[in-house]
Amino acid sequence: MANARALDKRRKSIRNIRKITRTMELIATARYKKAMDRAAAVTAYTEQITKVVSRLVAAGTEVRHPLLETRDNPSTARVLCLASNRGLCGGYNAGVLRTIVPHVEQLRGAIPNLVVDVSGKRGINGLKYRGIETTQQWTQFEDQPPYAEVEKIAAEYLRQYALGEIDRLDVVYTKFISTSRQRAVVETLLPLGSLESSDAQGATPDSGSEFEFLPSAESILEEIIPTSFKVKLFKCFLDAAVSEQVARMIAMKGATESAGDMIKQLSMTYNRARQSQITGEIMEIIGGVEALAK
Amino acid sequence: MSTATDNFVGHVTQVIGSTFDVEFPSGHLPPIYNAIRIDSEHKGITIRLVGEVQQHLGGGRVRAIALGSTEGMMRGMEVVDTGKPVTVPVGKATLGRVFNVLGEPIDKRGDVVADDYWPIHRQAPPINELSTNTEVFETGIKVVDLLTPFVRGGKAGLFGGAGLGKTVILTELIARIASSHGGYSVFAGVGERTREGTDLWLEMQETEIGETGRKVIEQTCMVFGQMNEPPGSRLRVALSALTMAEYFRDTTGADTLLFIDNIFRFSQAGSEVSALLGRMPSAVGYQPTLATEMGALQERITSTNKGAITSVQAVYVPADDPTDPAPATAFGQLDAFIYLERSISEKGIYPAIDPLASNSRILDPQHVGARHYAIARRVQTILQRYRELQDIIAILGVDELSEGDKQIVHRARRIERFMSQPFLVAQVFTGKAGEITPLAETIRSFEEICDGKWDHLPEQAFMYVGVVEQAEAQAKKMAEGKR
Repeated sequence: MANARALDKRRKSIRNIRKITRTMELIATARYKKAMDRAAAVTAYTEQITKVVSRLVAAGTEVRHPLLETRDNPSTARVLCLASNRGLCGGYNAGVLRTIVPHVEQLRGAIPNLVVDVSGKRGINGLKYRGIETTQQWTQFEDQPPYAEVEKIAAEYLRQYALGEIDRLDVVYTKFISTSRQRAVVETLLPLGSLESSDAQGATPDSGSEFEFLPSAESILEEIIPTSFKVKLFKCFLDAAVSEQVARMIAMKGATESAGDMIKQLSMTYNRARQSQITGEIMEIIGGVEALAK
Repeated sequence: MSTATDNFVGHVTQVIGSTFDVEFPSGHLPPIYNAIRIDSEHKGITIRLVGEVQQHLGGGRVRAIALGSTEGMMRGMEVVDTGKPVTVPVGKATLGRVFNVLGEPIDKRGDVVADDYWPIHRQAPPINELSTNTEVFETGIKVVDLLTPFVRGGKAGLFGGAGLGKTVILTELIARIASSHGGYSVFAGVGERTREGTDLWLEMQETEIGETGRKVIEQTCMVFGQMNEPPGSRLRVALSALTMAEYFRDTTGADTLLFIDNIFRFSQAGSEVSALLGRMPSAVGYQPTLATEMGALQERITSTNKGAITSVQAVYVPADDPTDPAPATAFGQLDAFIYLERSISEKGIYPAIDPLASNSRILDPQHVGARHYAIARRVQTILQRYRELQDIIAILGVDELSEGDKQIVHRARRIERFMSQPFLVAQVFTGKAGEITPLAETIRSFEEICDGKWDHLPEQAFMYVGVVEQAEAQAKKMAEGKR
């Protein structure tokens, strides 16, 4: 049996770990609520704007916009990976990395040029370790990514897309489905057209409703489509942030529990070790006394 | 040694458990370690007993430990001094036979007529006769060959708590070594289950030595003093067996194997009689002479320039506590040290050898070569790191580890499972043929796993295979089974 003091020391250190994980759990819960509220607000806006875009596309048959068209023979693709800056959030980053690696490999086979961008320190390190080179890295996004920052990135992508420097933009992030379910997914944001079928289903039934474009459909689309892209990208960042907090909350909850279990286990071993030590000593003393008494 | 020719007769004055006092006529005290014999009858109960003189109490009295049961003994019974210590038959006549502590055959196959009889108490060989050769002794068990290479002519210990498979590993080693070994083997059953001894005896009668068509038992003699026997018998049976082995070493010069199961029982028996002899208990209630007794036995199990004794000993570890004085004393005497760990056997990995606690004196680049040494250390480093990370994994999960650590965990789990191996003696239970893996293959397999060549195989594929290619085949089979 291990010696009692070593066991006690270990138990103390695990108690400290439990204190930390419990605190982190509480913090993550608070942050999660805030991030969740923000994301919910943006979700409504995104949905509406997607609806409008899809209606416009459905209504104005002659409407064309470069962002909506799928380009033949894409030569350059860009993948944006959204991970977190901090660890201790369970399988959050591992999930994203597990999704992006096969995706990148698949794209490499199909498209000659591939650029990967990444947000979050964990993502940067993870990709570096897996031998995927990244062009641009961001580390400023935490639990509440500001729209202004995301917009800058979005604008840059739009510019490159318009110039033909990239033909496709995929985002790998953790989609927030519910508190108990988040999934790492790949979404193609550019060209925007590819999104229509999957995300705008709610809009299709009443696509027949009539619109009058003033001053013209083109000018409205010119405005609304880039905005739609930006908002979608922003939504990805928000989802990722919410998912991170949820993941951390759950991971820390589990950690606190397993630390508790471990403390229980150790306490039991410790008590047993202590008891047997005492028994041993008593036996030795008694034995000695009896031997002397003879 | 006594030079008495006529045998003096004394009388029992006291019986205390398995020790008794005898009064001899003054001036005719039997020397220490002399065997004294009781052969009498009282009210229809026959008592035949041999004792060994341990102490001179003064007043013509000696205190002796009984090498048999003291039931029915009475004060006043006649005791005859045999004039010499317990002697056992030695030489070729002992081969194929089973003995008790006194050297009497117990296999009901008639008397043993030996050319020579040797006393069981002897001196350890002097230092100028000790052999200094160091040579690796291959067993074909992967984890043993890699991490705790045995020394030819050295001593190896199997430490483990109750039910971890010490006896299984020992019988496996007998099956592996004795069946390919040209010399003689001696097996000492000390305070273990009689059933296991019988199993082994029967098995040896069936197993053949290599391709010669001769049975293992023909080159083996066995000495038993099992659990049911009194402490005196268990205390001396190891010496009886050792004496027979020494004869083979000193006179025939052949390589001799000595298996002892279980050396702890020797210490335990010593502790049982120690208090009765009036010695004050020492640490944890053991006899104060624990180290002396162990030293006297172990120093004799050694290789000289006449011949070699290679010994494998099982050592029971009470309450899984290796710091207990009995295993701790045995520990220092051994060249190779295998520690069986409960947490590993709980994972279903057999042999449940703890790769970090086990060690060997010759795991050294000088003896095993730089490559073997480097790989053994590498395996240990990976497993050590894995063990350190275990708390983190238990609390936070594998996902929180850094990428490098994740890879270490990944490989460590494979290495851990790869250390299991199907045993020859377990074949009838598992239905899996035993694997004898050559050392070179073992080294290569572990090297490739450390290098990450087999990272893609599922963990389960590494269970109970020989060389690493078998793991690959097993993985294939598993994948097909799923489909």
